[in-house]
Amino acid sequence: MRASVGDRIVIDGHHVGEPKRDCEVLDVRGPDGGPPYLVRWAENGHEALFFPSSDAHVHHYEPSAH
Amino acid sequence: MHTIEATRRSGIAVAPDCTVAHAAAVMEQAGVGSLVILDGDELVGIVTDRDLVRRVLAQGRPADVRVDSVMSAPVVTVDADADMRAVFDAFRTHAVRRLAVVRDAKFVGMTSIDDLLVQRVSELNDLCRPVTAEILFGHHETPVPATIG
Repeated sequence: MRASVGDRIVIDGHHVGEPKRDCEVLDVRGPDGGPPYLVRWAENGHEALFFPSSDAHVHHYEPSAH
Repeated sequence: MHTIEATRRSGIAVAPDCTVAHAAAVMEQAGVGSLVILDGDELVGIVTDRDLVRRVLAQGRPADVRVDSVMSAPVVTVDADADMRAVFDAFRTHAVRRLAVVRDAKFVGMTSIDDLLVQRVSELNDLCRPVTAEILFGHHETPVPATIG
């Protein structure tokens, strides 16, 4: 996985009916955009170090043209 | 199969000086039941939702105690590039339900008995499908090809 500051990482639910989770990349701690990532969780603003697996996907940040 | 290929759940880490309230909030938001505790790059402990219940709530301790005061250490680890046999050996010889996956002594992910069981049951289902189909629908003999001339 490769990510940059400002990207969002979405984690699939692990159980039936479990919602997806969403966090923002605040810092990239690995080489060449690799993990781990310091992230902030969307809902409660808490920060943690994130080590992605196959349940996680990056949504790259695209700044608005306006 | 290597251990890392069977690790299908992202790992989450917090610092030793964070509070148990912070750890609980991260668990809730990330949808995980355990966090590893990293002091820099060093894996120093693991805390589970059960630890928070037994070592904090049940003891009447406040939510602002440091997470490293309630974590379990040392952490049972398995190498990311080890064969899956190493994972089963670790679960057989340690009374744990989760293993930290490491590469070059650095934490890279988490695997659990629950995840492995779900994986194995799914694989067994795949194996059972043709057998079940044969039991339910019978075995169809291939017709003998007609001879010419």
